[in-house]
Amino acid sequence: MVVSSSRFLAQLGVWAALLALSACDAQSSSTTPTTPGAAGQTPDEVLASAACQMPAPGRAPLRRLSNAEYRNTLTDLLGDSPTTQALLAAATNSFPSETESLGFRNNADYLGVSTLVAQGYVDAAEQLLDSIATNTRLLSCTPTAGAEMDCARAFIGRFGKLAFRRPLTAEESTQYEALFQKSLTGYDFASAVRATAFAFLQSPKFLYRVEFGAAPSPAVSRPTAYEMANRLSYLFWQSMPDQALFDAAEQNQLTTPAQLEAQARRMLKDPKAARLLEYFDEWLGTDTLPSTFTRDATLYPNLDPNLPSLFQQETRTFVSDILSRPEGSLSELFTAPYTFANGALAEHYGLSGPAGAEFVKVDAPGRSGVLTQGMLLARDKTTRTSIVRRGLKIRLDVLCELVPAPPPNVNLTLDSESTASLTQRARLEQHRTSAACSGCHNLMDPVGVVFEGFDAVGRARSADERGLAVDTTSTIGNTRDANGPANSPAQLGQLLAQSEEVKSCYLTKSFRFFYGRDADPADACSVAQLAKSFKGTAYSLSELLVALTQTDAFQYLPARAAEAP
Amino acid sequence: MIQRISRRTLLRGAAGVGIGLPLLEAMLPHSARGATATAARRILFVFQANGDQPSRRFIDAGETTFTFDEFLAPLEPYRKDLLLLNRLDRRYSKFAQNERADGHQQGGASLAPWKAGAGAFPIGGADRTVGYVLGPSADYAIGDRVLQANPSVPQRHLVFRVNTKENNIWDVSSHAGPVGQQNPVNPQTDPYNAYTSLFAADSKDPAVIAALSKRIAMKQSALDNALGEIGTLRGKLGTADQQRLDQHTQALRDIERSLSAASGSACNPQPFSGLKLNVYDDTNHADLGQMFFKISAWAFACDHTRSINFNWSGNTSNRVYTNLGLTDGHHDISHISDDDAFAKIRAIHKHLWQQSVTLHDLLKSTPDGPGGTLWDNTLVVHWNELGQGDIHSENDALVVLAGGAGGHFKMGRLLDFHNQRSFADMLVSCFQYMGFSDVMSFGDPLLNSGGPLPNLTA
Repeated sequence: MVVSSSRFLAQLGVWAALLALSACDAQSSSTTPTTPGAAGQTPDEVLASAACQMPAPGRAPLRRLSNAEYRNTLTDLLGDSPTTQALLAAATNSFPSETESLGFRNNADYLGVSTLVAQGYVDAAEQLLDSIATNTRLLSCTPTAGAEMDCARAFIGRFGKLAFRRPLTAEESTQYEALFQKSLTGYDFASAVRATAFAFLQSPKFLYRVEFGAAPSPAVSRPTAYEMANRLSYLFWQSMPDQALFDAAEQNQLTTPAQLEAQARRMLKDPKAARLLEYFDEWLGTDTLPSTFTRDATLYPNLDPNLPSLFQQETRTFVSDILSRPEGSLSELFTAPYTFANGALAEHYGLSGPAGAEFVKVDAPGRSGVLTQGMLLARDKTTRTSIVRRGLKIRLDVLCELVPAPPPNVNLTLDSESTASLTQRARLEQHRTSAACSGCHNLMDPVGVVFEGFDAVGRARSADERGLAVDTTSTIGNTRDANGPANSPAQLGQLLAQSEEVKSCYLTKSFRFFYGRDADPADACSVAQLAKSFKGTAYSLSELLVALTQTDAFQYLPARAAEAP
Repeated sequence: MIQRISRRTLLRGAAGVGIGLPLLEAMLPHSARGATATAARRILFVFQANGDQPSRRFIDAGETTFTFDEFLAPLEPYRKDLLLLNRLDRRYSKFAQNERADGHQQGGASLAPWKAGAGAFPIGGADRTVGYVLGPSADYAIGDRVLQANPSVPQRHLVFRVNTKENNIWDVSSHAGPVGQQNPVNPQTDPYNAYTSLFAADSKDPAVIAALSKRIAMKQSALDNALGEIGTLRGKLGTADQQRLDQHTQALRDIERSLSAASGSACNPQPFSGLKLNVYDDTNHADLGQMFFKISAWAFACDHTRSINFNWSGNTSNRVYTNLGLTDGHHDISHISDDDAFAKIRAIHKHLWQQSVTLHDLLKSTPDGPGGTLWDNTLVVHWNELGQGDIHSENDALVVLAGGAGGHFKMGRLLDFHNQRSFADMLVSCFQYMGFSDVMSFGDPLLNSGGPLPNLTA
């Protein structure tokens, strides 16, 4: 059911750093191909292949709403306001966090409805019923005695369309009217409204994004107009369609690539597009900082108690700015010598300029985009930086490599008394004299040491936790095309920014989050379409979001088995 | 039928926060089950992380003359009701490298002794990503058997974890399966929510009872509606989507049973009183564990479930035990092989054992069955994802069985299996204790010896 990225990349001929355990144990120079695999093809060659002459959409699994999508959908359904947001935050507080897969929490293959999740849906919906029953936008009529069902029908039609994100079928209208009628028999009109709304919110047609497609051919079909409205709205807003999308669906205006592109550009300008920053939060690991960032108060005294949130806000503001400009590129993400800070964060970093609560752009010499933001600190330790984990994070999340687990039965003395006078770098170098360790640590440590000029709370430094001078000189190796000397995050950023391996990784990450699944061999054409667009727009991050609407994976779906002839 | 619980006692938590604790005897023995001749058997798994120091478990390792070393000393008062299973082997290295995750991840799924799938994590395997295990855990599978035999028991199993909200390969120990599918069960992490979903408000006020019955009717109607829709959808979708919908169907059936229980018998302990704790504030770790223990005892006493999986943390936990004067995370410390680090590891485990044995006291003080207590009819299974922490050993596992366990086991003993028998064999013994004597293997055949652990039963 779940296909590994390595198989997919191998299929595409894109070189992936497959660091097999045996290879990792050996000296790594022998593990690194210097050219793309034998089957390597450029995006143009892939697109010219026979397989891409017909739409090839890959899988389209049933997607349960993620917790964020559930919150956003009901926020928009009820009418966005601070009150609604607070209500939804409280109502969904009991939802278990989604099962993580490949760095994201929205993978359809892992988004099921367990008993605890189902209980959460029951409890949450119950808390929303007052605000639904008193919402005149949703319930605009007043029932008259004996003719309650007239008003009920209006409510069911309106609420049902919002909950299912498409007009109800006649059969569904009848079904929910019967449910209403049954509740009305036992109780009063208001209770029947509540019971009906509650039933809508437990429906699989609300909780999942159900797609059957229109007019299937034997292999492939297009999403219906309303299904396409949902694909667009959940991609850009992580939420239900707005009225403009409903109207466009009603008029069948969501069909051509140009129509989809126009909608994409409109939607990116909407404030709701800020919700897609969830992607960057989950990719870079800043989403869990508020719950996982702990630092020893003796070694790091007087930290701002909101520091994790400040880091999160910094990255969100920084990325939003890049997305707001068509020329804002992947390169800028890793190399920007500026950041965004408010007064508190600027003071923490020792940057001058910003004051007050608002985040503003500030020059930050020596810093290098997201590489020196909260991402850097997500895996540090409570008392010190972690060269290994910083390097590992770049390998896994920026280069999309696989790194094997440490071997068993290794005696670890990295932090023992006998090495107290050595820097972390020197201790790791001792460590790497062991053949069992050197293979993998040669991948992680040389990347991690370039960050040693930044402490475990993200401030520039020249001496480490033990007062020893830090040495950040390094040579990056064992990558496809990001090798070379690097003595700072800025120099590493330059290596990463020009790397095809990094660009390919970014596409893989974007595919996973925005399509809610891992790419597999059947997605070769869609990935080639994305790669071609990405290059053609000089690696613009916002243009890539538009390009996500132009692929076979987005514009088609496989015909459902039961409907195939 | 509604039984009032009028007497309360006030328990002082470690942080000095008062938590109202109803005396469970108020609910019993006059509840529905009071008339049952023999009490039901229950099982409760308790997890603590990162391995320990096998050489410092026992000073004397004699079968009946055993003496606990320092970090296990909190168990001493319960020794006559303990069966200490030392040096079990998890045997994962019998799997190919691509069929298993690393020691923490695979060990953290010890209750589900199946091969790992692919696709979820880029670290741990050899040349592919690693996924969750491909089959159910014992807490789930035992609960499933309980439901088949006793359809009136509302909850298949309950899964609790303290503090951490993230659900990944390091944090989840319970799995639903079925065999061949990755299906981790994300735990309840909020004891207040656990209370609300298990127990209805207790009242004699007719208006309150009428409102409750109306809410239940509304929910039943909506669940019926959703089940019908799922059935229709299911027929139009492919196999993977059908599996997802089947799980959803099962979840809704579980909730239906809970609703029936809520409207039927009423075994409703008073809600937690006192200051509400922040369930994700790490300083509340011990208190939150105590709250889950109380909910566990209530759920057993009310027969809401017979299988519970409790976790003090995820595996590979990096909690900083500042309450013990430590500054580094648990997992970080566990990676260091020197004496100083092991002393800290022992201190952490001693602290966790001190917390865990309060569960024993709670079970001992909760009436159950004719003249007995929950302790008499419960098996507590204490476990860890590793043997020795620093070297991530898959063997040398220590499992502590505790409780009267219906007299099934011959307690008061230490058995050393010299890594010749497996952790999965131990799980087979758990099935047999629960009355499922047909179960002779659980999990992948490579991890089983065939049958339960020898020499355990009375």
